Amino acid sequence: MSVMCRKLCSSILFEHFGQIVQCVAEDLFKHGARSLELIRYATDLPVTKVKEALCVLIKHGFVRYSRVERGLEFSLIYENVLLILRYPKYMFFIKTMCGDESEMILEEVLMNGYITASEVITKTYKKIEQSPSGRQPSVPVLKEKFELLVKNQFLTRSLCTDTVGGRTNEKPDFTLPNLNLTAIIKKIEGDNNSDPGDSKIYWKVNFDRLIQDLRDQIIVSAIRRRLDENAGELMRQLLFLMYLRTASWAHTSNPIPLTEIKEAVKKTSYPLLIHHLDQYLHLIEEDSSQFLKRVGDSGGGQFSVNMKEAFEQLAWATLENIVMERFGSKAARIFRLVRDKKYIEQEQIQQLAMIPAKEAKHLTYTLLQENYIQMQEMKKSGVSAAPIKTFFLFHIDLNVVVYMEVEHCYHALYNIMQRREYEVNSNKRMIDKQLRMQTLTTNLKEHGATEEQLAEIADLMTPSEKQQLEKVQNTIKKLGITELQIDDTLFLLTMYLRYH
Amino acid sequence: MEIEAGTSKEQDATNADTNPFEIIEQKILALAQARPKGISDKDLIIEMPDLPSVQRAQIINKLLSQGHFDLFKQGGSLLYRLRDPSKAKIAKGADNEEKIVYSIIEEAGNKGIWIRDIRFKSNLMPTQLSKILKSLEIKKFIKAVKSVAASKKKVYMLYNLEPDTSVTGGAWYQDQDFEAEFVDVLNQQCYRFLEKKREQMNSCRGGPIMARNVTFASSKEVWKFISDLGISKVKLSVEDLEMILNTLVYDGKVERTLSGDGSILYRAIEPLLDSPGLIKSTCGVCPVRKHCCDIGDVTPTKCQYITEWLE
Repeated sequence: MSVMCRKLCSSILFEHFGQIVQCVAEDLFKHGARSLELIRYATDLPVTKVKEALCVLIKHGFVRYSRVERGLEFSLIYENVLLILRYPKYMFFIKTMCGDESEMILEEVLMNGYITASEVITKTYKKIEQSPSGRQPSVPVLKEKFELLVKNQFLTRSLCTDTVGGRTNEKPDFTLPNLNLTAIIKKIEGDNNSDPGDSKIYWKVNFDRLIQDLRDQIIVSAIRRRLDENAGELMRQLLFLMYLRTASWAHTSNPIPLTEIKEAVKKTSYPLLIHHLDQYLHLIEEDSSQFLKRVGDSGGGQFSVNMKEAFEQLAWATLENIVMERFGSKAARIFRLVRDKKYIEQEQIQQLAMIPAKEAKHLTYTLLQENYIQMQEMKKSGVSAAPIKTFFLFHIDLNVVVYMEVEHCYHALYNIMQRREYEVNSNKRMIDKQLRMQTLTTNLKEHGATEEQLAEIADLMTPSEKQQLEKVQNTIKKLGITELQIDDTLFLLTMYLRYH
Repeated sequence: MEIEAGTSKEQDATNADTNPFEIIEQKILALAQARPKGISDKDLIIEMPDLPSVQRAQIINKLLSQGHFDLFKQGGSLLYRLRDPSKAKIAKGADNEEKIVYSIIEEAGNKGIWIRDIRFKSNLMPTQLSKILKSLEIKKFIKAVKSVAASKKKVYMLYNLEPDTSVTGGAWYQDQDFEAEFVDVLNQQCYRFLEKKREQMNSCRGGPIMARNVTFASSKEVWKFISDLGISKVKLSVEDLEMILNTLVYDGKVERTLSGDGSILYRAIEPLLDSPGLIKSTCGVCPVRKHCCDIGDVTPTKCQYITEWLE
């Protein structure tokens, strides 16, 4: 893990959990797994604070603990910290898949780390009640939505227990407890003695599943872009079929027979796809992206989805785009040429890319300097080290370049976060003022204030201030969007690394 | 003159008649002409069994000194090969050094040879060599050609040879300059052609595979389109255009496939991904990223690029 990654994680934790948690996590970053006593000593915080911070971190799955000879040792899982950046995406995904209530439930679970079903329903109920949309929540609907999330495996039982030794390596458990709806309703109404019947059964978000869904989205949209809407839908169906027969993170799916694909496609509402299924399969299979492979002829043909290859292609596409944006299209041409030829000499580059010698050299060496391409020296054996006898071959080590770009993403994310924080801090006074005014207005409205009074409060902010505020809000919004966009790239590249 | 003098001397020595002597000479030459690979002593004995070996040696020596023959050694026996007439021409009125330099240049073929390499091979002094080269050039035996590989490098080759494409650079060079603009224009035009083909896809009603096949264009088709456009002053070959099309492949805009009959097909394609999110941010394309840090001159909080981008 690099310095940049550490800084990024640290600032993410600071933003969401505050300084103490950041401090403890930073210590774990620096020193790896260590005991409570050592953390306390290094951070110079009171032991209760450290405990609290660790508790928060464990609750959200950022810290793992294990028993060693003397007591417990804590270690940080930084990948999970980086997942926080993707929370908005997960919520949006759930919203489109399962609806608004489900999104709220998910948000509640994300905020708490792990939580019981009854509690999450209670909290969501209250939240909807308070929301300005004026919708009337209902417990049975919320329960249904919760069950839907579990059924789709977006939520899983948390296997965290109170005792240290009690951790088991069970498979993810999705069995639902019997919820006592009347008890939950009573609880919402303020009766704290009712038992909803699921104490100690906690739920957490099944990130693995969400990551796979985002991964599938990338693949489907790539095919849609390359071919068309119908092919995209076919790819989606193929991925569904892949889930049924293959372990989650297998490199290639087990063979899917054509008959089953036909069955699945029939249920969709794409008449063109149903009509030309064979042709579309053929197209995806023949495409240079190699997402799909024909592996056998029995049963009308057997197809296998090749995830590993798919992400290699996608990673290449990403890198090519990055090179193009950073160094221009001529540089991208050289980059692709080197990729295509595996090993190539400078002479050949300028000849095949048809770029004037001087420019070609400049671009090649810029790419080399920035580590997008690598150079390999080849000496003729048995000849003295005369310069003429040495060849310099250019090639690309994909893994190296991907790691470099991942690092680049961390850096960019960190910078954008820092900038956002800076923008918020430097305009803190104004943002606070606006918040105060908002609460004041709503309070007055509730008490039936007149229009004049409201206008008076609105006048507290000068036009120039309003303008400034609007600008700052736009800035912050823009930075937030950029953060999500950068994370898209990061996600794709980490997916590549996961498969390779 | 020389020949006559030579024969008369030999005549004195052998006391033989002039006519049969010359007839034998012609015979040997005809024999050598019939066998471009060369003739050996054995062949001569078989062909002319009544010729005494002393006389045969004399005739051969004479022909060699006149430059009609090249002498080779193959498998222990000597081989005489007829020189082509262009070389015979230089033999007249040229001294030994000129002959050597000429043969070195001839060896280099249409790729030409650099003056330094001639010097190393011939072991002649630079001044002397340049004199010889000049005289050969004036006599139009050789010519100097500027190479595109290095603008100041001149290479020499025989006068009647067409320089190799590696020296002239082919259609893409004019006076040793690479015509980048010309290439770019062709690149764009080829892409335009393939794009148009791709647009036809939308109006195709015969299923997705048919629609895709419509978008394919063979290199010949593209060549015809470009020739008809008439943007090129020089005549381009299909191979030249394939080079241009390959640059489009390396631009990631076009895909190349082989068709059943061996010709190469091209089609415009859409990239797999949109431009990635990373480079939509300023930090993704930042030129001073290496210096970017929490402290110092380049920091995210006072970054000029981000400020401009936010404006």
